[in-house]
Amino acid sequence: MVQQVVWGVSIVLMGTLAAVFAWVAMGASVALDDYGPAIASAYRLRTWLFGLAVIVLIGANYDTLGKLPYVSSISAPSSATATQSVEAIAEQWSWSIKPDAFRAGETVEFHVSSNDVNHGFALYDPDMRIVAQTQAMPGYTNVLRYTFREPGVYRVLCLEYCGVGHHEMTAEIKVSAH
Amino acid sequence: MTVEAVQSRSGISARAAVLAYIVVSGLVLLLMMLLGLAMRLAQAQWITVQPDFFYVIMTMHGAGMVGIAGLSGAAVMWYFVRRYVPVSTAVFLANLVFFLIGAVFILGAGFIGGFAAAWTFLFPLPAHSGELWSVNAAASYMVGLLFIGVGFLLLHLDIARGILSVYGGLGEALGVKQAFGLAPEDQGPPPAVTASTMVLIVNILGILVGAAVLVISLVNLYVPSFTFNALVAKNLIFFFGHVFINATIYMAVIAVYEILPSFTHRKWKTNRAFYFAWVLSTVMVLTVYPHHLLMDFAMPTWALIAGQIISWLSGLPVLLVTAFGALTNVYRSGIRWTVAAGLVFVGVAGWAIGVIPAIADGTIEVNSFMHNTQWVPGHFHTYLLLGMVAMFFGFMTYIGPRTTGASLPIGFWLYVVGGSIFVLSFLAAGSVSVPRRYAVHLPQWLPYDRVASIGAALTVLGALILVLNFLIGLPSAIREETAA
Repeated sequence: MVQQVVWGVSIVLMGTLAAVFAWVAMGASVALDDYGPAIASAYRLRTWLFGLAVIVLIGANYDTLGKLPYVSSISAPSSATATQSVEAIAEQWSWSIKPDAFRAGETVEFHVSSNDVNHGFALYDPDMRIVAQTQAMPGYTNVLRYTFREPGVYRVLCLEYCGVGHHEMTAEIKVSAH
Repeated sequence: MTVEAVQSRSGISARAAVLAYIVVSGLVLLLMMLLGLAMRLAQAQWITVQPDFFYVIMTMHGAGMVGIAGLSGAAVMWYFVRRYVPVSTAVFLANLVFFLIGAVFILGAGFIGGFAAAWTFLFPLPAHSGELWSVNAAASYMVGLLFIGVGFLLLHLDIARGILSVYGGLGEALGVKQAFGLAPEDQGPPPAVTASTMVLIVNILGILVGAAVLVISLVNLYVPSFTFNALVAKNLIFFFGHVFINATIYMAVIAVYEILPSFTHRKWKTNRAFYFAWVLSTVMVLTVYPHHLLMDFAMPTWALIAGQIISWLSGLPVLLVTAFGALTNVYRSGIRWTVAAGLVFVGVAGWAIGVIPAIADGTIEVNSFMHNTQWVPGHFHTYLLLGMVAMFFGFMTYIGPRTTGASLPIGFWLYVVGGSIFVLSFLAAGSVSVPRRYAVHLPQWLPYDRVASIGAALTVLGALILVLNFLIGLPSAIREETAA
């Protein structure tokens, strides 16, 4: 899952940075006789790091910007059955989702909006991991497309703070086997 | 007008004014940290807090922390920039007065009026309380923010006046000519002036936009028929919020530029890359805010793509200029580590390390899974708690009257270790989809909350030791001021 990859990569990079700071701090109390050559080496290293950062930046953005979740920028998977249109309306503090039962393999387009304030429409799989989300906003309809792969009970949680009943604003979606 | 001429207008010395800022900042930071700890303990189910009061605490914690980050950052910026340009102590104190008046309005809105629309007051939530707070409570919160904004605007305008009187233009003070090779890099402005100029440019714009959306929201409270586009309001609020909170880090980093070299005995090197990084940061802080709106599919796609790309670019100046600069400044310098030097060094590390999860969340593909989970407070607490606030505590310890308290190293390590546990718990919880801003947590989320609570408790204890150390030495400092 994306979350696990992001967590792993982040921890490695954060740990590496922390180790560099700790290494410099621990060795700092002994002074160099001549700082000049060290700073010259450091600037050469920075030039290399800059080059590396630019390569990573271009590569990561090229890769990820090809997978935008916005419906206008994606096409339905060819293997999916016909797209099911679903109305998902938020209102303090409940969801109206019609229909709310699907079959595994079905591609669904949630038309998400709100009758009052900003809400967040987050779809959680049966293991309670987010698989897709969009905002629910008064005056706008955001279209979120998702293909249910596994059967089970999915949940919708509100992920934009919407007042004191925010944490109670959940709904269930049942996905049956083929 | 000379530096001395302007500074002598005030009846109170500049050092006393800065000490007043530090006292207020230290106490409010502690109070807000206790509110944060209370939220984590409630989520961990180790204490009971009713959800409606939890959200009041959450709103006060958010508004209080953003405000006090601004105030403590302003103390750092003003203290150091006045070494180079004439600034008014009276205006500096006026900002503190405006802040305290605003704080009274905000605390009243929350703890008396029950206002709980989060510090971001997303339109039109303040007017949709579900009968739990009144229109007047919401208005009190907004008036409080406006008071604080007016104070900061005055302070920024006064510093801008001082900078312009010495450098003639904001471009010169930012080091634009040095950045583009149009002037020798060794004749550029000092880092404190460059950083302050960047802060003025972005924050004056941010505060004005924030004031505009606050006034719109205020009118909507009393005249519900006056409505406003919720997506435009969201853009304005996140522009203001993003700019203001990021400016606090850019204010506090001045402490690193000024304090670290005094321990390493190496001048902070200002070269073309340094000035270019600050020019770039000025532009990017103003343009990156759409990364807060990546799940607003109604936004123009180009704006969201720009938000992602600028998020990634924003990491370069932090990592390759400021963090790299701090590392080379300290490397084999023969430094005798003190708590003050350690805190500002940790501050740079926290800021740099926090960039990693921030960039991850600024990526649209990742944001689909991480947005508004606890990953978000995870990344911003990394570069605020372990970054900005660590820099401020370093500054506080540096200019404090008691810099050698025996308990200081204990406070330092409790703060750093506790803070690390705390932010990592947030990030780990975010990676398993635990939502942010939930008063009640599912049983499977409790282990993260409990580890975070322990980390938060250690952090608060560390902060308490650091602040108490400063306060204990304060009477002798006041006696010295009076004698002087």
